[in-house]
Amino acid sequence: MTDSPTPEGGAAPLHDPAPPSGRRPGRPVSKRSTSGFGRYLCKHIGGAAVSLLLVLFSSFFIFRLIAGDPIDQLTKERPVSPEERAALRAELGLDRPMWQQFWDYITGTLTMDLGDSFQYRRPIFDLIVERLPATILLSGTGMVLAVLLGFWIGTRSGWRQGSRFDRAHVGTGLLLYSAPTFWLGMIVILVFARYLGIFPVNGMRSPNTPPDLWSQAVDIGHHLVLPVLTYTAVVYAGYLMIMRSSILDEIGNDYLTTARAKGLRDDEVRDRHAVPNALLPTVTLVFLAIGGVVNGSIVTETVFSWPGLGSLFVQAIFYPDRPVLQALFVLFSASTIIAVLAAEILYWFIDPRIRKS
Amino acid sequence: MNPHALTRRLLAAAAALLTAAGALAVTAPGAAAQEEATDSLLIATNQEVDTFNPFKRRFVITYNTSMMTYETLVRMGTDYEPVPGLATEWEESEDGLTWTFTIREGVEWSDGEPLTAQDVAYTYNLLIENQAIRDWNIDFAGNLVSAEAPDDTTFILTLAQPSPWDVLTREVFIVPEHIWSEFPDPSADDANQLPLVGSGPFQVTEYQTDEFIRLEANENYWDGAPGFDEIVFDYYAETDAAVAALEAGEVDIVNGLNPAQMEALEGQDGITVNNAQGRRYVSLTINYNSVTQDGTAFGNGHPALKDPVVRQAMHMAIDKAALVDRVLDGNGQPATSIIPEIFEQYHWDGGDSLLEFDIDAANALLDEAGYVRGDDGIRTMPGTGERLSFRFFQHADNTDYATVVQFVTEWWTELGLEIKPEAIEQGTLNDMAYLGEFDIAFSGWGVGPNPTEQLGMHTCAVLPTLTDGSERSSENNYCNTEFDRIHVRQKVESDPDARALLIKEQQRLLYEDTPVIYLYYQNVLEAYNSDKITGMVLQPSEGGMITGQQGYAWSYVTAQPAGAADDEGTPAWVWITVAAAAVVVIAGGVVFALRRRKTADERE
Repeated sequence: MTDSPTPEGGAAPLHDPAPPSGRRPGRPVSKRSTSGFGRYLCKHIGGAAVSLLLVLFSSFFIFRLIAGDPIDQLTKERPVSPEERAALRAELGLDRPMWQQFWDYITGTLTMDLGDSFQYRRPIFDLIVERLPATILLSGTGMVLAVLLGFWIGTRSGWRQGSRFDRAHVGTGLLLYSAPTFWLGMIVILVFARYLGIFPVNGMRSPNTPPDLWSQAVDIGHHLVLPVLTYTAVVYAGYLMIMRSSILDEIGNDYLTTARAKGLRDDEVRDRHAVPNALLPTVTLVFLAIGGVVNGSIVTETVFSWPGLGSLFVQAIFYPDRPVLQALFVLFSASTIIAVLAAEILYWFIDPRIRKS
Repeated sequence: MNPHALTRRLLAAAAALLTAAGALAVTAPGAAAQEEATDSLLIATNQEVDTFNPFKRRFVITYNTSMMTYETLVRMGTDYEPVPGLATEWEESEDGLTWTFTIREGVEWSDGEPLTAQDVAYTYNLLIENQAIRDWNIDFAGNLVSAEAPDDTTFILTLAQPSPWDVLTREVFIVPEHIWSEFPDPSADDANQLPLVGSGPFQVTEYQTDEFIRLEANENYWDGAPGFDEIVFDYYAETDAAVAALEAGEVDIVNGLNPAQMEALEGQDGITVNNAQGRRYVSLTINYNSVTQDGTAFGNGHPALKDPVVRQAMHMAIDKAALVDRVLDGNGQPATSIIPEIFEQYHWDGGDSLLEFDIDAANALLDEAGYVRGDDGIRTMPGTGERLSFRFFQHADNTDYATVVQFVTEWWTELGLEIKPEAIEQGTLNDMAYLGEFDIAFSGWGVGPNPTEQLGMHTCAVLPTLTDGSERSSENNYCNTEFDRIHVRQKVESDPDARALLIKEQQRLLYEDTPVIYLYYQNVLEAYNSDKITGMVLQPSEGGMITGQQGYAWSYVTAQPAGAADDEGTPAWVWITVAAAAVVVIAGGVVFALRRRKTADERE
């Protein structure tokens, strides 16, 4: 399994996305393009809304396809009588008719009342709120590093295609990209935590760190290094390859020849002229990445016992903790759908071709 | 944006990050060094907390935290014998319906309030009167009639039916009335606000979901203050990571090891491995009798499995010793029946009924019973001529089972059976098993010191009433009135030796009727930091386990800090290397930035 920069899964709605605040003040826009933008916007918001609804509905049914009786998990440590099983079913709400469970799920999700987890026996909303910061910290940091690293190397690789720099970096990047995250994580743990002993094996905090803010921050930062390293190492090659091919598309263009003819140094031609144009196709990728930050990195979180949403999802699958799976599926999908919608809206402004069509 | 400026900013950011990482690597161990005043016992765990409510908990992790926070009237000794806990003495009435306990004097709750028989009566009355708590514990609570405390040291429990072993071994954790009675509904989580107040050796004081659970030692503990100041259950989602943490000195006790991990840890300085008999059996369940209470058949088990001769022949064709050797690397024992060898008193060794592994004899049995081989070498049933072709289901996530399947399939093929192995996800497998849609499937349970619950899975009373597979209290619909009769007797037999005989007889019946083939009892593989911990009492006391103890946490309470130097920290050369690397990277960055600046200057 590999962490990929594109989030897996469909999509689902917590809210309809807020309508955009119209055009920006102080920027003259022709009448024709306003209505064009309006239509463009409606089309994409409508599409996103439909996706979100589909996700909301399908999430309920998909996770009912996972076989198994949740009571088996609760009672696996000792056998229980039929009476005790019945009491447990009633407590978890499993004895109610399907349509009623569905109705409760829909109304609950729309009002942010996501129900209780089977395994934690606590409100799912609280669990998510508790874990979201951990996930954003890990995948957010990792994502920013991966994008920066990928774009920086990708630009230089593409610019000097076939050079030793290019071959070395593309090779390294793809090697790490194809390495199983799980395996890579264990290697990182063995080297840096087990043998060198300079970073902790896993978790986000040590239980015995003093409670003051500074000690806690240092401790979390200390724990963050290895998972971020692993996460970045696995995903940065995706950005590298996109940026590289994007630069390659620009290389033969006349405007670069013009720039060179003006006597600019090679670096300047690349950074000032080629890069801005090459960045355009990567916008979607970056937005998908932002949407993916919420999904977290399931494998990295699991290897490092990072208490985020990804490891919550994995635990919920193994249980199976249906209400948690439903809620996370909706959340993950919604974040992706909204990020994609944002990318599409942004395209209207940065890519003139869309306005013309 | 000026891309040039962007590049420089990125560079600066990268340099800053590297410096920060370096700084963290240097400072963090320093921060950790401050807390050496507290002796912490760190135990690796991976199970989430369901609830700290001792009446509603279901998971092992909360069994452990409850067992240390609270106490029971009667404790489970190091050899699974009942020993005094909060009660110093107890007496069963002649008719077995009334139990009188003498409650220990001078015991205090962790908040300093005295513990009296009133607290005990309050606790037992929760089981009788609180509907939700009663429902969650109905097997036990359903038999309770009244709980009274005539004075501060006497507690009287009245039962509907005699049930001495339930009374002695069921963990009813005594909770403080002065705390719990303040909450309107003690079945809700209200009463479990941290820090918990209990009378046991350690109380839960802090919990961070899936990060750690902290229990602090009870200084006023009546049985003597524990050796460690605190116990911390630390979360490791993967056992491999927990092993690395043990080696790095970050965690002190790790369990659930596989033979490879165990071998890697064996012989390492400061680490002691513990290979103990376990409480778990692994078995093959045979679908021979899918019927409801009223005799309605369901499912699609193979008809030949109804013939005890076929089941016995299959049993004889399994070399259990070879499985222990090849699948468990020798870390286990061949099984006879439900109760593992660790419970010496109740374990049945097979006696005269024990079958030897003998494929020829098994073949002869089948020949004699008229199962002749067809042209393809597969036997057919006498009469109907149906081929003996069996589905063999294993849990997809268990690699041990996969190996067992290979061996067993080969042996059974030699019997002239056609075996169709299939790996199935566990939820699906459970669903199919209880619907009777299988022929042979893996199963396995952990057994407690009171085997009544395990034996109860094979009584006629728990046969399903419906055919939809929703009632899952019978293991595989075994129903034998003789077995049931003995089961009732063993439940009320107060004399341990007489009871043991009855329980062995039940196991003999199961062995001979063969509804289930018990394969092996699996050892528990654990390891701990012996530079840091000493003096842990095992259960059973000879060759027993550290984690997974029952009825009282002997190991954690008796563990003493060994006083050896704690983790001596990171060797100096590591710091020098890290610092040097950081300097090189930062210097490189600065030089690079300067160079760029220079070219920019030239350009202007």
